[in-house]
Amino acid sequence: MTINLSLRQKFRKLLTNSKGFSSVIGTTFMVLVMMFLGTSVFMWTLSQNTLYNEAVRTRNQEEADRVNEGVVALGGNYSVSGEDVTVLAILKNAGSVAAQLVNLWVLDTNQSKYTNKLVNLNMNPGDSKSVVYTVFIPETGANHTFASWFVTARGNTVPLERELGESVLVAQVAQGIGYLAMDFDKFKYYEYASDYGLKDFPTGSGGYSVPTAEQVVFGLRLTNYDPSGGKRSLTLNSHSLIWMYFPTIGKQVNWHIVNVDANGTIQPTYSAITLAYQETTTVYFASKSDGSFSGANDKVKPGSGGPAAINLLLLGTIGSDEYGQNIPFVSVYCS
Amino acid sequence: MDSRKVWKLLHRRRGVSVVVSNVILTGAVIAVSFAVLFWTQYRSSAYNEEYSEAMNADIARLKERLAFEYVFYNTTSPKTLSVYLMNCGTINDTTVKTVYVTTSTGEPIKVFSSITLMNFNDDEIADQDLDRGEEGYFVLSSPGLAPDTSYSVRVVTGRGSTFDHKFIA
Repeated sequence: MTINLSLRQKFRKLLTNSKGFSSVIGTTFMVLVMMFLGTSVFMWTLSQNTLYNEAVRTRNQEEADRVNEGVVALGGNYSVSGEDVTVLAILKNAGSVAAQLVNLWVLDTNQSKYTNKLVNLNMNPGDSKSVVYTVFIPETGANHTFASWFVTARGNTVPLERELGESVLVAQVAQGIGYLAMDFDKFKYYEYASDYGLKDFPTGSGGYSVPTAEQVVFGLRLTNYDPSGGKRSLTLNSHSLIWMYFPTIGKQVNWHIVNVDANGTIQPTYSAITLAYQETTTVYFASKSDGSFSGANDKVKPGSGGPAAINLLLLGTIGSDEYGQNIPFVSVYCS
Repeated sequence: MDSRKVWKLLHRRRGVSVVVSNVILTGAVIAVSFAVLFWTQYRSSAYNEEYSEAMNADIARLKERLAFEYVFYNTTSPKTLSVYLMNCGTINDTTVKTVYVTTSTGEPIKVFSSITLMNFNDDEIADQDLDRGEEGYFVLSSPGLAPDTSYSVRVVTGRGSTFDHKFIA
């Protein structure tokens, strides 16, 4: 009871006597200001940390995506035509994230020359695509060894794994039954624009329908797939020719091999054409004469209508050995 | 307050000094309080700014990523080391400040601090940086490498990130 009375008295005294009250208010105000400032700084620091954590989380996600990017390049094959290297590959995205391929690098290991080609290929998970790219490597050769790899937009490199050579060679050589294979898609004929000049060169016209009354030149692409493992070069001599046979009338017509320059002009004298191992070259058949072409007198036309068989008689050398191959290949219709 | 009291207050100076001293004291306390308040605010702002800069720099560094597309050592004279890069990060303006060539065990061979970035068409990159997805390369002259030996190249960016790549000369 006494204690309660004493407390009541003290409280009354505190209310009636305002001495020191301003100090209490001032201190409270100061504490509030300090708390406000401290909280502001703390909250701001917390927001900055959140930003940093967000950046770290994004980075981790990017790393995870990069690791999960599973593009593989299989069935790599190279063919050389002049200084152009054609790279064939089958790309598969075996990963769980979409991938963008941005660059292809090709290295000629024989001469340590390399080049790159920009590609822009998008692949969803599970996608599979066959791709063909041609790059230019100075002084390259068909018997050179190549290595190549793709670079993805996430910075991964995808090495191109070469197809096992022997099985492919058998399949490719089977096209032509022999060391030389012919590309059926590139069989063309050309008409003359002048005595020696070819019309619409190098595009030409599809060779399976040929005009009967026009003097024509045949062009086709051959690849040397020497299966012996010796990677030998194959040289075609002037006796090589195309032989057209009309079975319904028993007539035959010959076109001898010629050289055609880059402008589509037939050269008067034939000089031997050499195909390095795995090299693809377009060869032309135009002349009535063996080893030469003298313009109007040596031009040849089918001269008859109807279906005709065309045989490719190739003669020359492979490495140091003699070589001959007869490719019974396309049928044409003359009209 | 009547006029007598006012007259008394003005003409009898008893207690005036106490009032004056209290006013001065109060003013001084308020002035010091505000000074302390402003100083605290200034310090906290400066801290915020420094922290923000440091945090932004860290975040920018995190976003940087350079991929090595190819490193080629030309063994024929003049011997040069070409390093092909791509910015596969998520930030623009990635510069190359310093390049270290070291042995595979990390012993330094040569340091290059003057780097000229070229694009893949062999033209100099105008702004000397790699934006997102941009590719470029630089050539290091006479790095003094032995053929068929493993080395490492370390690229340090302007933001301070480092990227390493092993190669065989």
